[in-house]
Amino acid sequence: MNGAGAVARYTLIELSRRRILLVFFVLGAAGTLLLGVGLKVLYSLSGNITTNQDPAKLQKFLELSFLSDLYGALGIFALLIAYAIGMTAIYHDLESGAAVSIFSKPVSRLAFSAGKVVAAVAALIVIVGLLALEARLVMLLFDGGLAGSLTGEILATMANSVVVMLLVLALSTWMNNIVAAIVAFVYYNVITGVISAVHGLADSGAFNNDLVKGVFDVLYWTVPHALVSSAPGDLVRAQVQLSNTPRGSQTFVFIPAASGFGDIAWWLFFIVLFAGLVYLAVRRRQV
Amino acid sequence: MAAVVRVRDLRKRYRRQDPWAVDGVTFELEPGQAFGLLGPNGAGKTSVVKMIGGLLRPDGGDISVFGSPPGEPRARAQLGFSPEDPDFPKFLRASEVLDYFASLLGLDEADRRRRIPETLAFAGLEGERRQIRQFSKGMKQRLGIAQAILGRPKLLILDEPTADLDPLGRRDVRALIESLKQSGVAVLLNSHLLSEVERVCDDVAIMAKGRVLREGTMREVVPEGSTLEDVFVRLVEVSQPQRDHMPSFITEKEPRS
Repeated sequence: MNGAGAVARYTLIELSRRRILLVFFVLGAAGTLLLGVGLKVLYSLSGNITTNQDPAKLQKFLELSFLSDLYGALGIFALLIAYAIGMTAIYHDLESGAAVSIFSKPVSRLAFSAGKVVAAVAALIVIVGLLALEARLVMLLFDGGLAGSLTGEILATMANSVVVMLLVLALSTWMNNIVAAIVAFVYYNVITGVISAVHGLADSGAFNNDLVKGVFDVLYWTVPHALVSSAPGDLVRAQVQLSNTPRGSQTFVFIPAASGFGDIAWWLFFIVLFAGLVYLAVRRRQV
Repeated sequence: MAAVVRVRDLRKRYRRQDPWAVDGVTFELEPGQAFGLLGPNGAGKTSVVKMIGGLLRPDGGDISVFGSPPGEPRARAQLGFSPEDPDFPKFLRASEVLDYFASLLGLDEADRRRRIPETLAFAGLEGERRQIRQFSKGMKQRLGIAQAILGRPKLLILDEPTADLDPLGRRDVRALIESLKQSGVAVLLNSHLLSEVERVCDDVAIMAKGRVLREGTMREVVPEGSTLEDVFVRLVEVSQPQRDHMPSFITEKEPRS
């Protein structure tokens, strides 16, 4: 694997200088800050008017609102960053002709692919990690006791984004990077999304057709599973607690359970599969 | 003397329905020899050198570079390749590109510290702080040559190395080739500039439509009283359909208003 370290190091330097990633990061950071501070200011103002609220409950409610929006926004930004890295990390080397100079050096295609994958994953982790760190600091404004859910949710977001990024990385070695992003989006966000959603509904007993349930049970194990942390469940439970909804309510039925060992193993399988596809695509590529 | 490169009956086509881009090319290159590969556009010269560099897969024939298949890192460890229209990771600087490639070549810290500044100075890029995306074609060409010599190769492949260079840059490349030849490095030069090839190469092969039309020492290929350009034009024109060189509208008289 001679040269993999150098490929990873200089790919990271390149990624750190790409404006598109900087723009996504700045937007994400500014959005998180605005969301937190905005909520705090808004509710402080309304809190001054309605003084009969329990302050502890209000803090929890504020944090809950912040987290619900934050998790949605983080998921979108992580996905955007994953697409941006996947579309550029290998594609530009191949298309610009830089790969001709690189591949004429004594570096194997395996080492090149490994270096690129490591750099892409590291860049994604660093950017999403920094956004998460900022989110954690903003949460100090609320102190509503829900901070624990953030770590799991960030890990799940990162894990899901890595799958998409590797898919785009592999496809962009075969085809134009914009086409690669569209294909990956259709596969991961549309087809996989629909299959997972229908499977989830069937599992929760939303419809009773055994044939549909059986078909989606099979289809579910042909696509990557988005990992789910305990955060969505924690948030719903907190919301229910705040609104004094009875425990046996239907709301609890639709709370997605946190991913188990099977889902994590399936995620790992797709990571290996897509990383393998990156290598195969790079190996086949003539420059 | 053991050949540095041995090419036998090399064949390549890009799609099944296409004609052969390289069709039965055979030659050898020895240490200290400068070999010129000439031909019109689309003759197959770049395909040949890319196959030697392990960048393209041949569809037939054999290539050995230092006794190994060209795709093996062992073969490429002693190879310097300056591509036609070179490009590099566009957000890096020239010194970073050379450091990156020095790492791929496995150069140690001491070698890097000595060679990178010297190579940058040779390329006239010392103190250049801009990123590659802001480089001119000539600057990229000079960096292309710089990265090719960084690892002190025993085989240097130069694909149109002077196409984007000014006269001073061309003179430097000629001097480089002379100096490398003297130290036993084999040089494979692809060029349209026949006068350059005539000045620095010992042996030459003229290609058209993927085939070698003539090959030999400069004296064998270019008879007394003739020039390489005469021989080239004669050979290539026979192998290609005659073209009307001038569009008819160019010579038409302007209608008077």
